[in-house]
Amino acid sequence: MSERNQGPGIGVYVCHCGGNISDHVDVDKVAEAAARMPDVVTARLNPFMCSDPGQDLIMEDIKAGLIDRVVVASCSPSLHETTFRNALVRAGMNPYLYVHANIREQVSWVAEGEGATKKAVSLVASAVAKARLIRSLDPIRVEAKDHATVIGGGVAGLKAARDLAMHGLQVVLVEKTPFLGGWVARLDTLFPTGDDAVELLNTLYRQVSGLHNVEILTCAQLVAQEGYIGNFRLKVTRRPPQTDEERKKLAWVRASGQVGAGVVPFVGICPAEPPDDPEESEFTTGAVIMATGFSAYEPRRGEYGYKEHPEVVTLAELIRQMAGGTSRDGHLVINGKPVKTMAMIHCVGSRQIPGLHEPGEDGRLNQYCSRTCCNSLLHAALRIRREHPETVIFNLYRDIRTYGRGHEEAYIAASENQVRFIRFLPGTPPAVRREDNGYALSVTVRDALFHEDELEIPVDLVVLGTGMQPAPIKELTEVMKCQTGRDGFLQEVHPKIRPVEVASAGIFLAGTCQAPMDMTETVAAASAASAKAGSILSVGAVELEPFVSRVDTLKCSACCTCLRACPYGVPKIVDGAAYIEPASCYGCGACAAECPGKAITLEHSTDEQVLAGQNAIIRFQPPAVGDRHEETGR
Amino acid sequence: MPEKVQIQYDALVLGGGIAGMQAALDLAEQGYTVALVERTETIGGNMIKLSKVFPTLDCASCITTPKMAAVAHHRNITLMTLCELRGVGGAAGDFEVKVRQQPRYVDTDRCIGCMKCEMGCPILAPSREQHGFAGRKAIYVPFASAIPQVPRLDAESCTLCGKCAGLCPTGAIDYFQKPRDLKIRTKALVLATGYKLLRDYPARAWGEAADQPNLVDALQMECLLAPAGPYKRLLRPSDGKEPESVAFIQCAGSRDTQLGVRHCSRVCCMYNIKQATLLKREHPGMRLAIYCMDVRCFGKGYEQFYRNALEMGVEFVRSKGVVTGRSDDDGVIVRHDDMEGSGGPRLDTFDMGVLSLAIVPAWTPDGLAPVRVAEDGFLASRQPKLSSTLTSSEGVFMAGVAAGPKDIVDTVVEAGAAASEAGIFLKGLQAGRQRAA
Repeated sequence: MSERNQGPGIGVYVCHCGGNISDHVDVDKVAEAAARMPDVVTARLNPFMCSDPGQDLIMEDIKAGLIDRVVVASCSPSLHETTFRNALVRAGMNPYLYVHANIREQVSWVAEGEGATKKAVSLVASAVAKARLIRSLDPIRVEAKDHATVIGGGVAGLKAARDLAMHGLQVVLVEKTPFLGGWVARLDTLFPTGDDAVELLNTLYRQVSGLHNVEILTCAQLVAQEGYIGNFRLKVTRRPPQTDEERKKLAWVRASGQVGAGVVPFVGICPAEPPDDPEESEFTTGAVIMATGFSAYEPRRGEYGYKEHPEVVTLAELIRQMAGGTSRDGHLVINGKPVKTMAMIHCVGSRQIPGLHEPGEDGRLNQYCSRTCCNSLLHAALRIRREHPETVIFNLYRDIRTYGRGHEEAYIAASENQVRFIRFLPGTPPAVRREDNGYALSVTVRDALFHEDELEIPVDLVVLGTGMQPAPIKELTEVMKCQTGRDGFLQEVHPKIRPVEVASAGIFLAGTCQAPMDMTETVAAASAASAKAGSILSVGAVELEPFVSRVDTLKCSACCTCLRACPYGVPKIVDGAAYIEPASCYGCGACAAECPGKAITLEHSTDEQVLAGQNAIIRFQPPAVGDRHEETGR
Repeated sequence: MPEKVQIQYDALVLGGGIAGMQAALDLAEQGYTVALVERTETIGGNMIKLSKVFPTLDCASCITTPKMAAVAHHRNITLMTLCELRGVGGAAGDFEVKVRQQPRYVDTDRCIGCMKCEMGCPILAPSREQHGFAGRKAIYVPFASAIPQVPRLDAESCTLCGKCAGLCPTGAIDYFQKPRDLKIRTKALVLATGYKLLRDYPARAWGEAADQPNLVDALQMECLLAPAGPYKRLLRPSDGKEPESVAFIQCAGSRDTQLGVRHCSRVCCMYNIKQATLLKREHPGMRLAIYCMDVRCFGKGYEQFYRNALEMGVEFVRSKGVVTGRSDDDGVIVRHDDMEGSGGPRLDTFDMGVLSLAIVPAWTPDGLAPVRVAEDGFLASRQPKLSSTLTSSEGVFMAGVAAGPKDIVDTVVEAGAAASEAGIFLKGLQAGRQRAA
């Protein structure tokens, strides 16, 4: 048992958080109680401890030699533990002589009244008990390779590769298929600017292919990963094209002599011949950018008549069919037939409501908005109205979400060009059926903005605005240990504070693997991720938190319990004892908890520290004045 | 905190809101020196004044203050407040930026932040930060987490009684400070000048009916809902009564080609839903009606946030709301077209009304900076699809609402993108110089 070294003592700082905490917790009482806890020499309050004046309180006390341990009682440590540790550093103190008590998320947001104050006091008591036993630690410093890997060769991946390379890093771009360009290669023009997709992609590709420090691997997949930020060891396999569709496209690209050339419309860029035989390579990289994109929602058979009637198509299919399409008497011609009237249905496979919409085969329900469909549908509608002015277009929608720059203008232009808009409610969606009415189909819909009157629209074509879904990358997310959110997309640390980072250090998000977004937003995310990765790796070294497990090799009997306990596969047996690479350890403590010989210690959460904290919660009674230094914390 | 003025920086970021702070941090982390130039007396922008933010309902100050502190303490960032842009000369790679610094009347080097001046000042004036709902002294720090923590003396409300100068232990009060003209040389510029609300819309659209105390704009509502707000809860400005009903009127100026602006302001649907959600959680019985054309919840987790509000009983009325008058008990009378019911106009009275005023640029270049604006009034992009943060001029980048309305998530990402592009530009300059040498 280690006694606290006889330094000056502990400072406790209690935050009001505006009123977030102080509206429900009597912070004055918490500070008063804290002041009477063992070894506490000062307990202070501030409306916002994280503000400069708040941090100054702590720094003043440190600089005055009053304290040598700091406890802050405020919000979740995920928000501000680093903020306060940095304040310690600025005051010249080791940043790990710090314990955080969460009295907001764990107290004021979930409890009120006397109980809330009591709970806050006991959490502070626990933090103080732990603070008495902690020691100085040094961050783990690892060398970082000035090399980054981008997974996915769509616009997000290409943009990320370009920016990373321009920041001076060596870059490997790993693309699963033989082609670069992703979904943008399957578009004609882009909303709202009307930019030509092929031209944009060619420009972006030229920016990347002209750089000597970018290596592009097509037909490649990441199959294994170990290591940590600055030093990820990646294993990549390359295989000849796997699907008939890929082989067919490749044959066509070869026949037209476009391997190594620019964009082949509706296929993409084939930068080089794929390998004839499977090959495997391993390399070390400093950071990984996930740019794995999305999958399109595939309507169920019979959903708005899809796959039952050939005249029901998705927007992507329509764009493909319109390429090189013809006009007859001012009508759009699809499959040789003029389209007199068409209906576009919005929110297909998006904004699904539990109990109302049928989940997919895998039980998925896409409750989110896919963000891009309104704009793409309006963009297509406007183009059709301009090029084929006799084709009448109805848009059946729930809400028109033309939110961005130039979007509303496109909506106005579509209205002015007589695109008709009918709003329906999710409970009464349009119905599509075959009808002998001189047209191919009939669509019935209830107009939510006009007494819910039922309208019957005879149409030649129905276009479904299908949404985005997470790409099927389960194996990859397991290899990269990335988390997905409830919607199935990759999950960022915090949408506002750290929007392009995931919980594992050194892994970043770019584009629609994170959430639906349009091309402008996708390339912005790719650039932002590149700036982050670039600034970390260009320094040459990375500092990591020292909260890791350490093995006492004398106590270790190599029983391998830790190997089984670790969810990340970090421990190994080296020279007859367990070895835990500090830089790889996530600090979860599973090994330390399970080690039967107590050979493993988790720094900053040793058994002794954890027990002291727990005991304080269990039996804390505000001690009478004079009890100081009598409690041992055990 | 001392504000030192250095002659040469790699980048100058104009605007100390969340976009400017994030761009400055991301550039500073790449090793470039940054001058962050802010017009008001503190950084933090509009974000620090919000209550909670959608859809996570984090408290805004809790996630803004760490950014502010990070900016203030970064060794590569120099903070310059009360500074307005007066002109940009030179060319990409070597801009000469003229800035006028308005007097604070407090010597930042001498001030120790003891606040004796503020406590002793006998003058009370309406607080701009609190939208006039509360008072402040003539010498004041605008809010608890403002950076720098140096008071500013407001010359308009000060009576020159001399009390603050007498109280100041370090002699930091200087009534004779003059505006200072500074010249800053910078290789790159990042414009992150943010937004303001189209405040003259209500009078233009609704005439005298718009002039009533219980009709507030969305930023005023944010102030009333903020944990550090004037009343610590929602009270009617006219009589301090707790409102039993609140109407939220969307698109007050946005999507209005005749009296307002054409564009969608992009964030109003979500912040109205958030404000309604916050109120519904505290007061389940309160009637909350959102007058809207479309409900635009397109971001990650936004649609689910909207569904939650529906399930909590927030009403969504599908019509533009029009303020037609003031009831006898100071309620706000709203008219709408009953599109979903029997049709025709309907009048409804609410204890309070909240206007989602259109978002327009807070600043336009007007010949001061060599950049073009687009038809929507926001800064134009050279490559909207490939590099949206490039302005019409080389070496000048943009981020946040200056480049079109957007929410905090999109702003933070875009600021990162601007920092990436600006970093690449700066790296190119270095490489060019090495080649030349």
